[in-house]
Amino acid sequence: MTAPILEVRDLGKSFGGLRALSGVSFAVPAGAVFGIIGPNGAGKTTLFNCLSGLLKPSGGQILFEGRRIDGLRPHDICRLGLARTFQIVRPFKGMSVIENVMVASYGRYPASADAERHAFEALRAIAMDHLAGTDAERLSVAEMRRLEIARAIATEPRLLLLDEMLAGLTATEAGALCDQIVELNRRGITIVMVEHSVPVISRMCARSVVINFGSLLAEGATQDVLRDPRVQDAYLGSAAA
Amino acid sequence: MKRFLPALVPAALAAALFGICLGDPYFMDIFILTALMGTIAVAWNLMAGFTGLISLGHSLFFGIGAYVVAYGHVGFGLGPLLTWPLAAALAAAVALVIGLLCFRYGLRGYFFAIATLAFSEVAFLLVSATPWLGRSDGMMMPTEDDAARYLQFMEKWPYGLIVLAFLTATLLVGQHFASSRAGSYWRAIRDNEGAAEALGVPVMRYKLLAFVVSAVLTAVGGAFFASTFSFVDPRSTLGVDLSIQLLVFSIIGGLGLLWGPLLGAALLIPLGEVLRTAMSGFTGVNIVAYSVLLMVMALMLPHGLGGLLKTRLPRPRLGARTAFRQEDAAR
Repeated sequence: MTAPILEVRDLGKSFGGLRALSGVSFAVPAGAVFGIIGPNGAGKTTLFNCLSGLLKPSGGQILFEGRRIDGLRPHDICRLGLARTFQIVRPFKGMSVIENVMVASYGRYPASADAERHAFEALRAIAMDHLAGTDAERLSVAEMRRLEIARAIATEPRLLLLDEMLAGLTATEAGALCDQIVELNRRGITIVMVEHSVPVISRMCARSVVINFGSLLAEGATQDVLRDPRVQDAYLGSAAA
Repeated sequence: MKRFLPALVPAALAAALFGICLGDPYFMDIFILTALMGTIAVAWNLMAGFTGLISLGHSLFFGIGAYVVAYGHVGFGLGPLLTWPLAAALAAAVALVIGLLCFRYGLRGYFFAIATLAFSEVAFLLVSATPWLGRSDGMMMPTEDDAARYLQFMEKWPYGLIVLAFLTATLLVGQHFASSRAGSYWRAIRDNEGAAEALGVPVMRYKLLAFVVSAVLTAVGGAFFASTFSFVDPRSTLGVDLSIQLLVFSIIGGLGLLWGPLLGAALLIPLGEVLRTAMSGFTGVNIVAYSVLLMVMALMLPHGLGGLLKTRLPRPRLGARTAFRQEDAAR
């Protein structure tokens, strides 16, 4: 097994008395497409927020490429090569699509011409280059999702966290997006995705973890994880078991 | 060069107006006031329109500029060559401290606006109670034999020329930032701070940058005010009315447009003058008329006058340029 690009050790996060995450440990191998599964409210987004620095963990460690990143500011984590998308899209509405992506590419390319060129490449990677000049607020939901991804890859990450990027998309849109994610992965970006759709996870992710009530329920090969009776009970409901 | 067109075109128009006003001291007065207020509004808008930081306390920086020049002159006999940079430096330091305090504790939106207002009101009260700053009576700067060194001129037009240079410099500085990485980061912070941070934007640093640049330019405006009128007092340089005016000019002219506030000032200040002269027999009626006009404009032009103009101007969009380049590449 390749060295882990991301290692989470005994991660905990409490909001006042509410323990949103506790004792979560897992490792993501470099080059993988890694799945995070769990019912609504299980703590998946909280986990992402801790990984990307938007929330400060209450305990435990996060190691990215062997280096501790828990407690760093989000922009520093991003510069290190760990990018994320948001489940609820957050476009910069006053800007065009390419301007949105340039905000991300400026981090590596301070000169406007370079930033613009690399932003355009990011758009092309997600098949959005034809929309470069469109105002971001005029995009459809599916296009805004892709814009989220284009912006994230324009930061040139080695690890990309995708938060429910397929939610609200039609089957066709979702299929096309999945193909592009696989292509990004082939180009060397490790992917960690939170997703509700079990077929998508089992098709795309070789390894997965399952989270329930803020704790790790299972970790391993996706097929084994999905067959785990505890997982079936928690996630799919006991009727499916 | 093309990048600076949004700065150079308004500057050229202002220069033309300066030329027209040359023959008449009354018109020159209005030109000076308009250019000064418009320029400071441009500086204010770098924070509000570009970065989404509404300051209601910008009179603080104007006052710092005015009082450093006035006290430097009255107290130490210092000329503008020294006091103007000193004013800018002090404003930068004050903005840095206030910015660090506000942004460290995550003050945004209304809370940031109220905090800035509070700081400027404290400064207003402090200065109004400080004997060596002339209390609320203000300070008169004596006329010097060596007049030119103190920027004391018999005629109005040299002041018009100075304010024209200030206006041009402010537009160029503004456009430099707006069309580079800083401007991109500012707009990202304005539109969605969380997303900007997650995409690698050092939010704190760029908010501070916007604040400091805006404060320095405003202080230079205050310094110019003191040098031009040889008189400063708390009401005209530190009062909240000044801060509100900047907001009104920017909203009417067009928030988020570099030259929008200039347009707002160029429309509203002469309009106020015209109403004042036309209705001189009825005290207060001019203010009512002015307010009604303001409301009508705010209702009819949600993006300001500049927003209306902008939709009618051909604008080269970044995306359009890239797409064009792509076609070239394909050929």
